[in-house]
Amino acid sequence: MYASEIDMLSPRSLLECLYLLENEKASFRLLAGGTDAVVRMKEGKWQHDYWLNLKNIDELKFITIEKDEIHIGPLTTHSEIISSPLLQDHADVLVQACREVGAAQMQNMGTIGGNIGTASPAGDTIPALFALGAIIELTSITGKRQVSAEDFFVGPGKTVAFPNEIITKISFKVRGKHDIGLFQKLGPRKAQSISIVNVAISLSMKEGTKECLGGRIAFGSVGPTVLRAKKCEAMLTLGELSPDMISNISSVAWKEVMPISDIRASASYRRDMASALLERGLYRLIKRWADNERKPF
Amino acid sequence: MKTIDFFVNGTEVSVTCSPSKTLLDVLREDAGLTGSKECCGKGECGSCTVSMNGLPVCSCLVLAGQVHGENVITVEGIGTPENMDPVQQAFMDEGATQCGYCTPGLIVSARSYLNSIGHLPGLDEIKQALGGNLCRCTGYTKILKAVQTAAQSQLTFRDL
Repeated sequence: MYASEIDMLSPRSLLECLYLLENEKASFRLLAGGTDAVVRMKEGKWQHDYWLNLKNIDELKFITIEKDEIHIGPLTTHSEIISSPLLQDHADVLVQACREVGAAQMQNMGTIGGNIGTASPAGDTIPALFALGAIIELTSITGKRQVSAEDFFVGPGKTVAFPNEIITKISFKVRGKHDIGLFQKLGPRKAQSISIVNVAISLSMKEGTKECLGGRIAFGSVGPTVLRAKKCEAMLTLGELSPDMISNISSVAWKEVMPISDIRASASYRRDMASALLERGLYRLIKRWADNERKPF
Repeated sequence: MKTIDFFVNGTEVSVTCSPSKTLLDVLREDAGLTGSKECCGKGECGSCTVSMNGLPVCSCLVLAGQVHGENVITVEGIGTPENMDPVQQAFMDEGATQCGYCTPGLIVSARSYLNSIGHLPGLDEIKQALGGNLCRCTGYTKILKAVQTAAQSQLTFRDL
């Protein structure tokens, strides 16, 4: 079959889409922004009978806040996340990650649900969702289930989602005034690049000090899935995050990652850069925290 | 085969094609608008950039079945040889084009960007906005200069 002969179904509502997922016997693929899916179709990697075009399902496009939880619809584009005042205030790490996705064209097309569903180990929004402790909601015609971002990915391109399920919501707790976050990416060039290593950091700080009460660190592109650096996280609360302490924490990072050598970089380079990126990230984050507090510690 | 109705440069067009045909191919083959170019076909180079509902997208990755009812502006809809857009005029004046293959994409990206802001952009802002458009001949100095010039003339015009 030629790529251009693949037919397309465009459901208008979530229910219609779920019904198609459940009952469609022919092979199909989900299509959201198309920035990955269409490339795979052109490369001949995907030879399916139907595209299930999600673009017309307006009920999957939203950014809302309910009590202390933020909900993002999977069809929300990276541009919409970047320009959302709500997310700028409450999920800076995710906004920064979306800014690092491709360039303007990719940010306008690509969706957060697509980035999750593609499950690339180098997906930029995924470490940010790990750092935020996000919950991903999967819906099928028979019901819903919630999976934490950390349990969602099982390997490159593989997730726990069944073929009859789609992502319907991404939720996380609102960040407080003392929660700070940062996303760092190393790519071959600034724009339009795939991560060699990326890291998302989210810290809860103690007011007026450089002490951290707890935090999450997630590395991307250095393993089969995005990885949480739990040893580094445990060290965050050992004492004031001074430059020495930051350097100590970062020196452990290479133990946490298990990169491969590929077309973009070698494993040993990635290991070194994971440490460097974490050190730089923590340093910048603490500097920003101190500057905002405007108090000498 | 499906019939898809959408707007190109303000005119409604109706094409009958496979829904998996790319928007770029539809524009070039069915609508006869050969300004947008195919280069990498993977959304890395930006040669195929068109504006969809005001936002620049890579038309080589948009499928025809997804554009029903959408408003697409190509480089042909930005200006004509007799009546050029400030961005196009600035590209001419600054000599920001060599082989010309990336130019339509750059013009669309620059136009969309200048439409979205109301201030005089700095060099870094322009670089960020045009990050998805690659040029392999001229280097970017003249292109960036041209967009700055266009932004300046646009602001001057607005203040008149």
